[in-house]
Amino acid sequence: MAEIVSVMAMAHAPGVTGWLDSAPEEEKTKIIAGYEEMGRILRATKPDVLVGVANDHMLNLPLRDPPDFCVGTAANWNGPAEFFKSWLAQDGYEVAGRPDVAECLAQAGQSAGLKLDSRDDLLFDDNWSVPLLYLTPDYSIPLVPVHMNCINAPVPTPEESVRAGQVIAQSIKDDLPAGLRVAVFATGGLSHEPGGPKYFTLDEDFDRWFMALLEEGDLDKVCREATVERMNEAGGGGTTELLAWMVAMAVAGGTPARSVFYVGSEELRCGIGGSVWDSIH
Amino acid sequence: MANEFDPELPSNHLIFEVRRDPALYTGFADRMEEVMESYSLSEAERAAWREVDVVALGNLGVHPYFLPQVTRLIHGSAENDSKSMAAQAYKKAFGDQIVAHKKK
Repeated sequence: MAEIVSVMAMAHAPGVTGWLDSAPEEEKTKIIAGYEEMGRILRATKPDVLVGVANDHMLNLPLRDPPDFCVGTAANWNGPAEFFKSWLAQDGYEVAGRPDVAECLAQAGQSAGLKLDSRDDLLFDDNWSVPLLYLTPDYSIPLVPVHMNCINAPVPTPEESVRAGQVIAQSIKDDLPAGLRVAVFATGGLSHEPGGPKYFTLDEDFDRWFMALLEEGDLDKVCREATVERMNEAGGGGTTELLAWMVAMAVAGGTPARSVFYVGSEELRCGIGGSVWDSIH
Repeated sequence: MANEFDPELPSNHLIFEVRRDPALYTGFADRMEEVMESYSLSEAERAAWREVDVVALGNLGVHPYFLPQVTRLIHGSAENDSKSMAAQAYKKAFGDQIVAHKKK
C-alpha cells in the first residue's frame, strides 16, 4: 500500500507571482517566507507524486452541470495556459503527470459514487501555477491534478468534500503501489471576492477563524460551521475554494492542522496563508 | 449573488472559450465586435462589453468569476494590481457599490 507522507493546503492568489512587488514590503516578505516554508515541509517528506485538489476557475469544467471533481490523467502537463502567463508573470513550466495514479483515483472516486470524471486536457491557471513554483521549484515531482468545482453552484457541500477526501485517502492506501510516497495538497482561498463589490477587500477575521477551526481537528465542527453560505459571506465566488482545504483535512484523517502563515493582503485582493497536517491517520 | 449566472448566456460561452484559445484572445480588444458577433451576443450584452460595464454583464447573467476576466480581456492581464487599467475599469463599473478595504 502507498503512503500519504504529507498533507497541506495553501492559497493560490494570482498576485503572489503576478504582482507581488505591488504589495507592501512587509507583506511580500511574509508571503514569500510562508510559501518557502510550505515547500520545505513538503520536500522534506520526499514524495514520489503530488495529488493536488484545487478549484477549477471555470476554465475546464462545463458551465452546465459540471462534475464535482475532475481527475487529470495526462502524462505531462504544461502551465500556465497561455492566457494566464502575463497575469501570473510566469513564462511557463512542464511537470510530469502520473496517469497510473490518476486512473486509480478516478476509478475509486467513481466506484464510491462521487460526481467525478477524468480528462487529460486540463488547462492550468493560478490554481496550480502559484503553489507549484514554491512546492517543487524544479518541477521534478509529478502531479496528479484534481480539479474541483467550488464556484459553479451547486458546489459540493463540506460533507461531500470531506467524503471525497476520505475516498482519496483510502484509494491511496488500497490501490496505489506499495512504497509509493504520496503528498496531497489543496489550493485555494482564503477569503476573496473575484466578481462582486468586495473585490478589493477580504475578510481577515473569517480567515483567521477558519484556520483556527482547522487547528481544532474536528471534522464535524468544520462541516457544521464553515458552510458554503458563511464562506460566500466572507467573499463570493472565491472563498468557497476552501472546500478543497476540507478535502485535504479529510485526507489527513481529520487531525489538527498547524497554521504555517497568514497575510491578509489588500493589494493581492486575498487572504493568503497555508496550513499543514503534521499527523496523518 | 455569489456564483449565480445563466450558463446559456452567450457572453459566458465567449469568456469560457476565448481564454482557452490564443487565436481568440490575442488582440481581443481590437476584434471585440467581430468576436461578439460570432458568439451571437444580444445587443444588451454588446453594449455592456463596449462600456466594460461588468455590473450590467453580471445582471445579464455573466458568472461573477468571469467579471474581472472581462476587464483583463479588454485591458490586458499583466501587473493586475489595484492601479491596473483592468482593476480601475472594474472599480468604475461598480462605482459606489465597491466595499473599501479596512486595514487591520
